[in-house]
Amino acid sequence: MDDDNPLLAVRDLRVTLGPVTAVDGVSLTVAAGPFGLAIVGESGSGKTTLGRAILRLVPAAGGTVLFDGQDVLAMRGRRLREYRRAAQIVFQDVDNSLDPRMRVGAAIGEVLTVHGLARAAVGDRVAGLLSETALDPALAGRYPHQLSGGQRQRAAIARALAVSPRLLVLDEPTSALDVTAQARILELVRRLRAERELAYLFITHNLAIAGELCEQTTVLYLGRVAETGPTSSLLATPAHPYTLALLSSVPELDPARRRTRIALPGGPLSATTRPPGCPFHPRCPLAIDTCRVSVPELRLVAPHRQVACHRGHEVHAGLRPGADSAAKTQPASDDGSLGGPGHVRRR
Amino acid sequence: MKLQLRDLQVRFGEELAASVAALDVDAGEIVGLAGESGSGKSMTIQAVLGLAGTAGATVSGSIRLDGVELIGMSPARLRAIRGRRVAAIFQSPGLAFNPVFRVGTIMTRALRLHGLSAAEARERADAALRSVLLPPELLRRYPSQLSGGQLQRVAIALALALRAEVLLADEPTSALDVTVQAEVLGLLRELRDTRGMAILFVSHDLAVIAELCDRVAVMRAGEIIEQGATSDVIASPRHDYTRELLAAVPRLDA
Repeated sequence: MDDDNPLLAVRDLRVTLGPVTAVDGVSLTVAAGPFGLAIVGESGSGKTTLGRAILRLVPAAGGTVLFDGQDVLAMRGRRLREYRRAAQIVFQDVDNSLDPRMRVGAAIGEVLTVHGLARAAVGDRVAGLLSETALDPALAGRYPHQLSGGQRQRAAIARALAVSPRLLVLDEPTSALDVTAQARILELVRRLRAERELAYLFITHNLAIAGELCEQTTVLYLGRVAETGPTSSLLATPAHPYTLALLSSVPELDPARRRTRIALPGGPLSATTRPPGCPFHPRCPLAIDTCRVSVPELRLVAPHRQVACHRGHEVHAGLRPGADSAAKTQPASDDGSLGGPGHVRRR
Repeated sequence: MKLQLRDLQVRFGEELAASVAALDVDAGEIVGLAGESGSGKSMTIQAVLGLAGTAGATVSGSIRLDGVELIGMSPARLRAIRGRRVAAIFQSPGLAFNPVFRVGTIMTRALRLHGLSAAEARERADAALRSVLLPPELLRRYPSQLSGGQLQRVAIALALALRAEVLLADEPTSALDVTVQAEVLGLLRELRDTRGMAILFVSHDLAVIAELCDRVAVMRAGEIIEQGATSDVIASPRHDYTRELLAAVPRLDA
């Protein structure tokens, strides 16, 4: 990847939503396309807010966003409109991202006319975009509710592509779809990245999707980068216990490949009650005393691999939860509760 | 056999929404029902709950619970079974709860409808919530104040509190994060193993079914096209459609 001349360079981005710091000093780089960066984390990790702040859909409280070397956060007027054409977003909620009272063709055509890209022959351009996203051009005459979820999401992608963007933010575009519709959307993204040399941020909670479509992966936890690096290396040798837990949660068809599940007690914490020390320590099965008092900074554990974990080197070298305590599994407690508080559970 | 479906047909007018020749779920067993949106999985669940009729469908065939026929049973008798002996959890737990009542009120009302005293209901709700590892304080909260994973656990806790024998789970993890999904799957396994519950688990994701289910039935266009032990179906699928579903699962080693 071309580090010297990236398409998008985000440095120390901060976003506050009322009292909550949703994004807390995130840096990332997106090379010119074809290129994919996965932003991975649970609900509440700040991944959606990060994508929206990059597109100026929510205001940033600090940091810089450079697109082609230009300061996005300072853009106004015509420059901002140009940026909004160059950087597009596809939302998770396919049911609400298309106007229910507008025919699909009109919704896509509107984008073309608003941006002055097509005055005549709008219909032909719309038909072309629909076929490009593997939709029957005849669907232009339909209303969104007459389409399936997968078709609606493809129409939303067609609309985003109408202005020939260079950067696409895909915010969990498949979470509301079933696996077959998801597979077809992933295939479409793969084809578009090659044909249009697209660069994209793929926001997801599923690391398996990152592995299929993205060169680089950044794992977020409570608005901070937990770990970042080339996807294949990050999946092969994760260096953050949170990445281990995410990996162990991915459902696996093949029992032989199934990982020992690392349960995270407590559920994701809310950013309103950020703990002292490492934000992950209350749920971390490997936390030591240092983690409770000192916030780990991002540092290199291997070439191109950065991790914000005091034990990042050990985890990268193969340390796993339960290894030092002889993989004790907690029996169900005697008050009749199901599943003890143990971190490690064999499946 | 705890739950036994035979020649079940759910029709909307002329259209056949679901047709199940034979499907069994035994106590202490999780059976998966796999297929895409529109394949008839949810209609099958609705029929077992006796709710397909209210959606305007006609149901024929046989649905037996411990050998007792549910189709044609009087609404009053069915009400006593539905919710208590046969419980259900759904994809959007947020929609399953009335937003104007506190979680505790929702749980105790359901329990009292099934004949428990106020004191018993409170005690059971409390114990059930602890069983799914939720703090009893949640009883005082409103559904909107809980996360999706917490709400799904409350729904499971309600089934536990009612001592349900059969749990119908309609895509209960599809709207959840992978981490929370893994927790809910763990909880369902424990219900099977420690309470001997019979669970019918509907999902479009064969990887989730592979993780959870002892047996699986694959549905397509309203019909079951293949069923068997989950490991057999996944290792050697007989039907092209099953192979398609398997190929759609995103894999970490890809």
